[in-house]
Amino acid sequence: MDPVMMKILDSTMVSVCREMGITLMQTSYSTIFNEALDFTCAIANRDGDMIACAEFCPAQIGGMPLMAKSMVKEMPLDQFDEGDIVLHNDPYRGGLHTPEHTFFKPIFVNGEIRGFAVSIGHIAEVGGMVPGGFCGEATEIFHEGLRVPPVKIVSKGVHNKDIWRLLLANVRTPRYNYGDLRALISAVDLGERRMKEIYSKYGADVVDQTCNDLMDYSERRMRAEISQIPDGIYPFEDLVEDDGIEDRPYKISVEVHKTGDDIVADFSGSAKQAKGPINATLGVTLSATYNALLHMTDPSIPKNSGCFRPIRVVAPAGTIVNVNYPAPEVGGNTETHPRIAGTVIGALANVIPHLAMAAEGATHGNFVFGGVHAATKEFFACYDIEVVGWGGRSFADGNDACDSINGNCRVTPVEVFEVRYPWRVEDWVFREDSAGAGKFRSGVGYTKTLTCLNDEIIISQMTDRHKVAPWGLNGGLPGDKGATLFMLSGANEWLDASQAYGKISPSKYSNISIRKGDRVRLVMPAGGGFGDPKERDRESLREDVVEGYVSAKAAQDIYGL
Amino acid sequence: MKFSSNGLYVEEYVKCTNCGTLIYESDRPACVESTDKELFCSQWCVDWAAAREKRWKQNA
Repeated sequence: MDPVMMKILDSTMVSVCREMGITLMQTSYSTIFNEALDFTCAIANRDGDMIACAEFCPAQIGGMPLMAKSMVKEMPLDQFDEGDIVLHNDPYRGGLHTPEHTFFKPIFVNGEIRGFAVSIGHIAEVGGMVPGGFCGEATEIFHEGLRVPPVKIVSKGVHNKDIWRLLLANVRTPRYNYGDLRALISAVDLGERRMKEIYSKYGADVVDQTCNDLMDYSERRMRAEISQIPDGIYPFEDLVEDDGIEDRPYKISVEVHKTGDDIVADFSGSAKQAKGPINATLGVTLSATYNALLHMTDPSIPKNSGCFRPIRVVAPAGTIVNVNYPAPEVGGNTETHPRIAGTVIGALANVIPHLAMAAEGATHGNFVFGGVHAATKEFFACYDIEVVGWGGRSFADGNDACDSINGNCRVTPVEVFEVRYPWRVEDWVFREDSAGAGKFRSGVGYTKTLTCLNDEIIISQMTDRHKVAPWGLNGGLPGDKGATLFMLSGANEWLDASQAYGKISPSKYSNISIRKGDRVRLVMPAGGGFGDPKERDRESLREDVVEGYVSAKAAQDIYGL
Repeated sequence: MKFSSNGLYVEEYVKCTNCGTLIYESDRPACVESTDKELFCSQWCVDWAAAREKRWKQNA
């Protein structure tokens, strides 16, 4: 092992992945990419092991290795030619959820495949029951858009027009989909080109050996971190509040087994899979477990498949953590992922509380909408990500209004949002007393109020935390829940989706027709607090009151000021 | 995962009884079948499932 070469190569490949991401951002058409950054770029070796990635979406980083390995199983290396590009989004073949479109481009050196450039991105509109992909009332995978098993969308450098025609005939916004898919292809084109330059500079055998050394190094670093956790079995449970179809909660139960430098996360006690779309695929559960452990270990460990070798996941088929075909699953990757990660963090908080975070808001809002724009006469669709308060930690307050643990995405700025879509944003306000109280309080939630400017907008949503509050740790209190409220034009009271439209769930619903002048208010949850609120630093508390984060009454009643 | 004879569609999704990993037809030779005909992707999964069942019975 040459540690200098390893460091040079790791940094170079991470830079390549970042450059791929910037290319994707700058060439895409939809706000989910060019504003929210809901994508990830990576390099894999010929076996499908991830050897480098950029710091974009954590859900996709943890999910990429299984997708790549599944792709290689179905499309063996001898079926590839130079210039091919494979597209894959199938949740039942190692994927995360239908919107997550993944492109693989083989990296040929001297006629032999050495690895793959990979880009994964959340396509905002994928067909199916609702504009925007998140159908809160889906009961089959077929309601959730077009499923694409691994197919060559580009063969020997020539685009397969038949596949393009098939893809674009099944979505509501073909022009935007075309632009976004081409942006993902641009990313793998760039990644392939840069990796060829690296292979040319250092030699193929040196690069491959160094990549193997790099994964071994990450494995050793991760094992060293894990070995510091006391041996034992640590259980934890949390709930997804409902599935959009039945009004009952679904349990996610984990036992984290720590022995030596190995971890097994066993989810066998979790609920049977739901009828509605909250189910996670195995890829999601793997990714969520990795995500939790990456959050609790040294962030300087190079992120590659070596990190994941000490971690086993047991996720029995037919449960909410490993859905069986053909059940729906679109919310598993956004809502159930942070619950799964949260249970692993909650379990380990028993023994390493100094590295743990109380529950975060654990939803992306997933407010999706579409319609025909009155000004352009063109169909629009949007996946709007909303953010949450993060949980308090042993050393600091939680982040205010930050994307949930698996997203790392940005909020689309109001100015862009209003130009692109026929809504007016009336307000966007941090919520006083929403934070879970604690020695270190959570980040705060907020409200965002929208007024419809179009004749009609069709909205759907797949969110959570409207009924089950985010938990606190070490005496910290739960944070405030969220809500989605409607006030129809001419009315004077706010109602949730159950009250206003008779939906089973107030947080998961499909195809509500909003008319011009109607208003929608998104109330986003906070997180849980860490430690006894009465131990909060008094100066920080007084600042909270001045800033409007904590009311004078709560400062007195809860914090004992 | 069992494909149709023409390879164009999936006829059966087969997963490990313990860990839930998707088992492709090419993986089958390396799999372990339990005495009650359950399919496991590895001996580790057979042992883990047995140990879990024993532990849960003890704790019940």
